[in-house]
Amino acid sequence: MEDDREKIFAAIRRGLRKDQHSDTERDGRSPLNTPLFADFQMRFEKFSDELVKLGGEAYVFSDYQGISDFLLEHITDDAGVFLYDEIREKYDRALSELKSTRAYKLSTDFENGYDKRDVAAFGSAILPCAACIAETGTIVLRNNMRLPAALATRLFVITEPARLIASLDELFTEKFRDAGGSNLFLVTGPSRTADIEKELVTGVHGPKEVYVIFHKE
Amino acid sequence: MTEIEARHFKELYKKQIVNDQLRANLSKATLQAVDSRGESFKEVDFEFLRKQAKMIREESVSHLNQLLSQFEDHARENGCKIFYAETPEKARAYVLDVAMKNNVNLIVKSKSMVTEEIELVPFLSGKGIETVETDLGEYIVQLAKEKPSHITTPAIHKSRTEIAQLFHDKIGTEMNNDPKFLTAEARRVLREKFLSANMGISGANFLIAETGDAVIVENEGNARLSTSSTDIHVVVTGIEKVIPKFSDLRIFMRLLARSSTGQKLTSYVSVLRGPRREEEKDGPREVHIVLVDNGRSSLLGTEHQEVLNCIRCGACLNVCPVYRNIGGHAYGSVYPGPIGSLVTPMYFGEKNAPDLPFASSLCGNCTEVCPVGIEIHHQLLSLRNEIVAAKKSRIERFLFKNYRKTMLRPGRYRMMGRFARMFSKSALVRRMMKQWTDYRDLPEFPSQSFREMYKSGKLN
Ligand code: SF4
Repeated sequence: MEDDREKIFAAIRRGLRKDQHSDTERDGRSPLNTPLFADFQMRFEKFSDELVKLGGEAYVFSDYQGISDFLLEHITDDAGVFLYDEIREKYDRALSELKSTRAYKLSTDFENGYDKRDVAAFGSAILPCAACIAETGTIVLRNNMRLPAALATRLFVITEPARLIASLDELFTEKFRDAGGSNLFLVTGPSRTADIEKELVTGVHGPKEVYVIFHKE
Repeated sequence: MTEIEARHFKELYKKQIVNDQLRANLSKATLQAVDSRGESFKEVDFEFLRKQAKMIREESVSHLNQLLSQFEDHARENGCKIFYAETPEKARAYVLDVAMKNNVNLIVKSKSMVTEEIELVPFLSGKGIETVETDLGEYIVQLAKEKPSHITTPAIHKSRTEIAQLFHDKIGTEMNNDPKFLTAEARRVLREKFLSANMGISGANFLIAETGDAVIVENEGNARLSTSSTDIHVVVTGIEKVIPKFSDLRIFMRLLARSSTGQKLTSYVSVLRGPRREEEKDGPREVHIVLVDNGRSSLLGTEHQEVLNCIRCGACLNVCPVYRNIGGHAYGSVYPGPIGSLVTPMYFGEKNAPDLPFASSLCGNCTEVCPVGIEIHHQLLSLRNEIVAAKKSRIERFLFKNYRKTMLRPGRYRMMGRFARMFSKSALVRRMMKQWTDYRDLPEFPSQSFREMYKSGKLN
């Protein structure tokens, strides 16, 4: 089907013929009123504060046993667990008990594609992340499977302290712009709605629970 | 020109303004939004952000041809198919064509004002393709066969009891008006739709020229599912949504959610760069981006160009005393409130919405909160001017011409003053002024002018 590109561009050119101002000078300063969060501890406190306000939770563990106990305590149903292979490789010691007691699937099990119903059946998804943002309590995902993080009831992210960045100013930079892949997803707390009389309800389509674990070696 | 309901604003608002339940719902919801907005801006410098956002939007609109072609090149490199549509008909036909070629029978759709503007859902449904709104508010209004009444909170006019009754009647849920229960029921029904659908439609809040990205901001997760759970994803959006740089998002992300719902950031932001890559195991195989003009380009170079800077946050609706009293449906347009009173006559023609620019007290609340610094109340005033100038009758023209002469000549002013004092009490004059005196009193003229009173010493 022929589109209207030429007509629309001609109309735009006609409209813009009158002199219009040139490029804008961006002011690179941060709009935040308080100084940025310098070290991991300060960033973590801010990140955790923000996430907790939204109904999520953030933890720091320095041993594998801590992570293992946390996961076992929070994954109590038998709806199955989706595990990112990258997570399995890094945190195998923390996952051994979970793997022996819960039904789980690895991302590599879906190597040749999958039916979305298979992923929807998982109660929990354990994923790596590209970054976390202290300013807003946000998780930044850039994984090769989009749906587990969107369909699971419980979302767990396990990551290292170096991935916790201070603010959105650090996210919207060339580093993340040019990182490749077809998507960058920002997740800030559980899925929520206030469409019924402005009353906040979580878990309308996406995860109802969001947990972030920093593994500090 | 397709007729829209906004033509009948005067009848529509009279129906809504007497609906106490509606006004109570609106008042509760908008006041809450205003409070949260104020709270959320405490951490950032609003004026700094607004200044930057205004500059970037002005740059975007004044370089629209360059930025659009840059966006188009990059989006094509990313594997997207781009389609420009001058009219709603053309946009609808393209989406239908994509659906037919792929044997699509169920579409999941996330919130998008442009798809409302071009009436895409009724069109596709009319062609036998089930098209389900998946945003909870939109789903509610779709079930009720109504239109959204707010840009970001579509079912703001409905109470929980009305929604419970609606779900009971339409999807067979038990009568329970707890929002948690109702939301869980919607999740259950819509999850099944996501799993069965073979095409997803969304809008886009921003298009990034330097990368070809489409950025979608939402809270529920339905947009993520609509854009990622099917093999075909179609983005339908306006040509003005383009911004130059990825780094500009640091400004807009901090403004949009705060202005709209008082959040620092929405639950989800999807930055989408075309179809799935080889190494990716899900995501759409085809991505189409439909860029709709529908009157936007005709605003370029006019004094209304700045209206194209709007990022559809809805903040101007929440603070508008007119909107708070009459609600979105009174406007008879998909775009209600102050911004709706501007864009409805601009996109759908002044004949379709001759009264909307007058639906404002010009208090300026809207301008004060607008995150991209649009002078909304000045725009409304200038639109009023144009409408009045275009439709003035011969009598009106005669009267205004004489009014001008009278104000310029003291002798004539005195004479007209005498006439006014003489005839203002006449029943005939009062009948002629009936429309005006329906809602206000015609002031009594004193028997003498100020000058006469002064001369006679009555003022001493
Ligand atoms: S005019 Fe301004 S306040 Fe109103 S919706 Fe647009 S950006 Fe928001």
